[in-house]
Amino acid sequence: MMSFRARGFVVRLMSVALICMGFVQTSSAGMISTGYLIDNETRDASLARVEVLLARQDIERQLLAFGVDAEFVAERLRGMSNTELLALEGRLDTQLAGGDALAVIGTVFLVLLILELVGVTDIFKSI
Amino acid sequence: MLPALLLLLSGCASIPDAVRELDANAGRVELEDAPFFPQQRYQCGPAALTTVLTMSGASVSLPAIVDKVYLPEKSGSLQVELMAATRTSGRLPYVIDGTLSAVWNELAAGRAVVVLQNLGVAAIPRWHYAVVVGIDPQHGEVILRSGTDKRRITATKTFLRTWRRGEYWAIVVLRPEEMPANVDQGRYFEAIAALEQAGQLEEAAVAWQTALRVWPDSSAVLFGLGNVRFASGQFAEAEEFYRRLLARDERLLVARNNLALALARQQKFDAALAEISIALAQNSDAGLLSELEHTQETIRKMQADTK
Repeated sequence: MMSFRARGFVVRLMSVALICMGFVQTSSAGMISTGYLIDNETRDASLARVEVLLARQDIERQLLAFGVDAEFVAERLRGMSNTELLALEGRLDTQLAGGDALAVIGTVFLVLLILELVGVTDIFKSI
Repeated sequence: MLPALLLLLSGCASIPDAVRELDANAGRVELEDAPFFPQQRYQCGPAALTTVLTMSGASVSLPAIVDKVYLPEKSGSLQVELMAATRTSGRLPYVIDGTLSAVWNELAAGRAVVVLQNLGVAAIPRWHYAVVVGIDPQHGEVILRSGTDKRRITATKTFLRTWRRGEYWAIVVLRPEEMPANVDQGRYFEAIAALEQAGQLEEAAVAWQTALRVWPDSSAVLFGLGNVRFASGQFAEAEEFYRRLLARDERLLVARNNLALALARQQKFDAALAEISIALAQNSDAGLLSELEHTQETIRKMQADTK
């Protein structure tokens, strides 16, 4: 985990590097996004863009690490908003994933069975 | 000892009245025509999402949605990926209030609701996505498309407990011309801006137009409409929206920045640079300064390139 200061430095450095590379000269270069007005952000918009880019790269790595096919990664990232990308960066491994996965052993099973019978849980119904 | 253990495992928090209670006149509602996609192992997320996307008229298939939201190494799907896949399928994901009455209102409007449940307990979670397709207040039942159950009937009490452990997370999938039954303006605008950002420009344009009918004076909506037109290459139309915004609030510098770019795109470089000069003179926001300067530089470059 990078310290906040080190991170700020990297972001600034990349910001310069990207502008020098002409990376940001896309079809809508310089256009301020709608989200900027809605979130009422007063931060430096070009720094924010670089932060999002870094978050995107981090999440791309994570998705690959969690078994996503490389051919689908870009499409999956496309749908995420900047806010979501920044919230997910570095935290993908701790996110809960809905998928019915369950690991139950011995006495725990018995307790669960009782909880189920008294209606606290709904864990054993065929999903 | 057993009661204490039960209490510990189930958590002592009770369900707030605001979450539990329905309007006195809320009757039975069930979307019987809701399709059913029985899930494969661990793939409740794709199955639930495919159900509501299909209901909204999107042409999607379960295998394609699996490729968009399933994480093999986590044996499940993230909430944020369900939202993202909704957007790339041309629909607007909207997180509704975590109350039974909010779910009822959506059902009454003909939309099924994807919910996150923890079918286990906090210590031994079993995270599960299901689709609420009905509520029967009289019998105290919630009707779900869940897993391999086409019509799973759960006691409302049990449903609320499992939903509480999923922090009452619930989403609907809107067609761009639809609004949620109970709309929170900020959340709705953010949802549309995210659709726009995902590059679904036509859908975002329709959604902003829908919002405009309810909030004709909203800066965010006019700005969104301008930006969608800009991103689609319709610079004259974009210019019109930015001008409308500035006529109402001449100090909205983000609009002036984009107006300048829209003018430059139409080869009106002098007018564009004049707008940026006004913006720079009015600006007192350090964050925006670099953006405006960058725009100025971009326009000068464009002008030099055409000479």
